[in-house]
Amino acid sequence: MTSALPDLDQADVALAVTGDHAAFERLYRRHVPRVMSLARWLLDGGDADDAVQEVFIRVWQKLHTFAGQSSFGTWLHRVAVNLMLRRRKNLGLSRQRHAADPAELETISAPTERPDLRVAIERAVEQLPRGAREVFVLHDMEGYKHEEVAAMLEVDPGTSRSQLHRARMLLRQLLAT
Amino acid sequence: MPDLFTDQLSAYLDSELDELRRRRLETHLGECAECRAVLGDLRALIAAAPNYRGREPLRDLWPAIEAGLEELGILPITPAGPPAGPPTRFSWPQLIAASLLMAAIGGGAAWLALRGPSDRPAGATALAPDGPTIPRSIAYAEAQYDVAVADLTSIVEEGRSRLDTATVRVIDESLRKIDLALAEARAAIQRDSTNVYLNRQVAANMRRKLTLLRKAADAIART
Repeated sequence: MTSALPDLDQADVALAVTGDHAAFERLYRRHVPRVMSLARWLLDGGDADDAVQEVFIRVWQKLHTFAGQSSFGTWLHRVAVNLMLRRRKNLGLSRQRHAADPAELETISAPTERPDLRVAIERAVEQLPRGAREVFVLHDMEGYKHEEVAAMLEVDPGTSRSQLHRARMLLRQLLAT
Repeated sequence: MPDLFTDQLSAYLDSELDELRRRRLETHLGECAECRAVLGDLRALIAAAPNYRGREPLRDLWPAIEAGLEELGILPITPAGPPAGPPTRFSWPQLIAASLLMAAIGGGAAWLALRGPSDRPAGATALAPDGPTIPRSIAYAEAQYDVAVADLTSIVEEGRSRLDTATVRVIDESLRKIDLALAEARAAIQRDSTNVYLNRQVAANMRRKLTLLRKAADAIART
């Protein structure tokens, strides 16, 4: 995952770390759409607004620990994923959701339009069953390895692999025109 | 399109098949157009997935976030010192330059609005002789900050009798706390000049002092 504007991010991080709210607001505005989608996908439509606010406040507090070894966007997403998974745990979204549920699959309907593949994927991801969606988001969209995904979701790596394949095949079906 | 092969397509794309299964699948792919089509679709999906754009929130969350940042307030340096962090990325001159430039611009605007052009020369306040060596642009920014603070302080001192005593008490107490936090942070920086946390505290408290003085001056101007 890379930021579209890493140079601007770098300049604004340098200002924000000194306490500059305006610079931090620019960072927020550049990155909030992706963080918001992440919240929607990982919290299953829970209080995404609240989670996103908490992410950016946490990032502000931790900004002095950002060492610049990755892009700001990558670092931000790591913070966001960790926080959202903690929220998910607190909400009691349990691991049993990772068991395949054929009834859940039947409720999936095909998207009505397909402006382009990226947008279509984002819409289709929302229709995936939770277990498949979480693994797809963490592995294919956020770049975590199966072992990391398994540890985050408290499942075994084999489950992560099978859920990923299931998610990809369902998405292919959803995206078929 | 046998399921045996279809089920291996994800693992194949992720390079997770052992040599034997990979060869068998590739042989099959050479013969099965349907599996090749699925493989192509999955490959496109995997390539596009990380580049998602995301969706804007339905309402602007920034005001609530900024209120949360304000609630964090002034963070005075504790005797125990700042938390340990990874290696610093920004040098102290970079941090101070960025902050002071913003602070001087903001303070200067209020100062000009209240007083008009000043006859005081920019850079009248010298830097501490034993302080770190910093570039001319940073020295200029800090001098601008000092000038803005001195003028705003002068306005507040001259007009404080026009404010009610409770307001004056709040201003004095807030300034005392900010100055204390600044002094502690600056003393700590003398021992660790590259510490990002300390430099951030100095910059944040300088900005807060300027903001407080500007608000006090505005309140006096309205009386």
